[in-house]
Amino acid sequence: MIRKLIGIVTALIAVAAPLAWADETCMSPYMAKIVGQEDYVYIWTLGMEGVGDGEDKLVTVDVNPESESFGEVVHSLSVGGRNEAHHSGLTDDRRYLWASGLDTSKIFIFDIHTDPAQPRIHREIDDFVAKTGGIVGPHTNYALPGRMLITGLSNNRDHGGRTGMAEYTNDGDFITSVWMPTDDNLQGAVKSGNYADGYGYDARALPRRNVLVTSSFTGWNNYMMNLGKMMADPEAMKRFGNTVVIWDLHARTPKKVLDVPGAPLELRCAWGSRSNYCFTTTALTSKIWLIHEDEAGEWHATAVADIGDASKIPLPVDISISADDNHLWVNTWNDGKVRLFDISNPHAPEQVFEKRIGEQINMVSQSWDGERVYFTSSLLANWDKTGSGAGDDGDVQYFKLFHWDGESLTPEFSLDFVEMGLGSPHQMRFGAHALYGQPATKMDHDGMAAR
Amino acid sequence: MAWQRAEAVRRVLTGLLVCCWTATMAAAPHEHTPPVVLAPGYEELEFVPPVAGTYQLPPMGDAADGPVLDTLGKAGRLHDYLGEKATVLSFIFTTCNDVNGCPLATYVMSGVQAAVLEEASLADSVRLVSFSFDPEKDTPEALGRYGDQFRSQGFDWQFLTTASEDDLRPILDAYDQWVIRDYDREGNYLGTMSHVLRVYLIDADRQIRNIYSTSFLHADTVINDLRSLLLQ
Repeated sequence: MIRKLIGIVTALIAVAAPLAWADETCMSPYMAKIVGQEDYVYIWTLGMEGVGDGEDKLVTVDVNPESESFGEVVHSLSVGGRNEAHHSGLTDDRRYLWASGLDTSKIFIFDIHTDPAQPRIHREIDDFVAKTGGIVGPHTNYALPGRMLITGLSNNRDHGGRTGMAEYTNDGDFITSVWMPTDDNLQGAVKSGNYADGYGYDARALPRRNVLVTSSFTGWNNYMMNLGKMMADPEAMKRFGNTVVIWDLHARTPKKVLDVPGAPLELRCAWGSRSNYCFTTTALTSKIWLIHEDEAGEWHATAVADIGDASKIPLPVDISISADDNHLWVNTWNDGKVRLFDISNPHAPEQVFEKRIGEQINMVSQSWDGERVYFTSSLLANWDKTGSGAGDDGDVQYFKLFHWDGESLTPEFSLDFVEMGLGSPHQMRFGAHALYGQPATKMDHDGMAAR
Repeated sequence: MAWQRAEAVRRVLTGLLVCCWTATMAAAPHEHTPPVVLAPGYEELEFVPPVAGTYQLPPMGDAADGPVLDTLGKAGRLHDYLGEKATVLSFIFTTCNDVNGCPLATYVMSGVQAAVLEEASLADSVRLVSFSFDPEKDTPEALGRYGDQFRSQGFDWQFLTTASEDDLRPILDAYDQWVIRDYDREGNYLGTMSHVLRVYLIDADRQIRNIYSTSFLHADTVINDLRSLLLQ
């Protein structure tokens, strides 16, 4: 037990080792890591009308198999109203979880270190739009040293896709904002193809190369519209991002705009000390794209694999790269499947595994050793399929844990978030008592309290 | 100058070898022990930093104050050592056994010192402050001995500690420098502390202008930021 505790806490301070230590594989490289067993998964959950209190909430599930409450919801904290809860992220010291709402542009900062089993509200940011000069729809909450980078999806002028990014101190004080490069104002960036749309979505840093990479989705007008209505509107369907931008990370200035048509969403960068590349997937064209640097230091975007049959619109959503950079999990929302790609040759990914997880699968998170893979459903309130039990699995809104043995996924447990009166589960983040010098299991809690 | 830097590096790296051994021994035999990978700050910078003065370092808030002791045991305020110059402030403890923690901070600050000594325009405009968060072991005398290993004669590199945990804690909280003491399950202090390395760039008006951590901290980057601050 003590040795395990030491192992995990060591990871807290050894945040520099990129490959050997890895993390839950998709976190900021600046962040403290859980390299052992995670104790909790924090699930930022979208409120559903008529389900429980109908409010957005942070749901805490005990996932430590040694705990008496393994597989149970141990805490739920409602934030008041619905904000289009979507993504969340941890500060670099992992003491706070930032969770944002795409509709109201509110950001909720949860204290998860005082009692990791019972997060509490630390601060609520309700002036994001005003402070940032009009950025709407805070999406990715990404840890930089001593600060948080928040990507936007939209703006308050036309609620379209042009947007920017903001920075806040870890305590929630606004620092600065920057807008994405557009044809009208490239801000010194090189437009390498046909697009400079100014759209935003995800962000990932490669500190070793002084590179920040951003992707692009769509604006408030689309992501708050009914999915069927939007897909029937040819003009609305034109308003999706087609770009990935390479930034000077230190200066926060855009350097190059790359064409990646079809709404490139999640970005995942390789951990290897000589691996100068990231992956993204395009929602509308169902492809894996490699964002890579050549030997001359130039960055490129290359479509390297198809995801399912694009004509059937599988709609790739979340992806997760393994700690050794050899595999990439890819979820496809429309067919409820997860696919595993061998990416050991990043220029030629090959699908090696496929399994149906459940209706409208969306997010995927894996433990640092890759043995535990978590899934949630729910994309957006107005895009999700309606009615519990509508899918052939009968569990439209769920949180599931599987064990991965290198060949197959074995179910561990599944929670029906509608039946439990919680809502639509979206992004997952891991927590561990050991990060804060606390023993892991409830059995040890008394000892902790006594010291 | 070059010799001084090389000697400082040698001293830090000698300490690192001890740290690596300690980390290996701490792991259980049956557990995979990943090799210690040195932070980027120990290597050559892999990129050309943006030109000094061409980018912004927006203020991140006030640098906090609090009661401190210098290496002679003289009581003062932290603000006595901030302001007027651009300051690089690191929180360390001298018995830190993580290769990529406090030793990295001291190594990088040694590199900054060496660069400043070679750049006349920076000489009177830069200060380094190493601040201990272990008042129990890092007495003024102990910190003085530690500082003597790294500080070039006459260089404005201050080593500070506090009289007590009560004096220290509000300062750490104000800088959002989180530190936990490591205990075993019986509540016995293991003599080690866990923390996320933080190094702060503070301008002459005592505003925090950048924060560096392990994956980001590099002498060349810090020097570039110092030049940028002084050009503004």
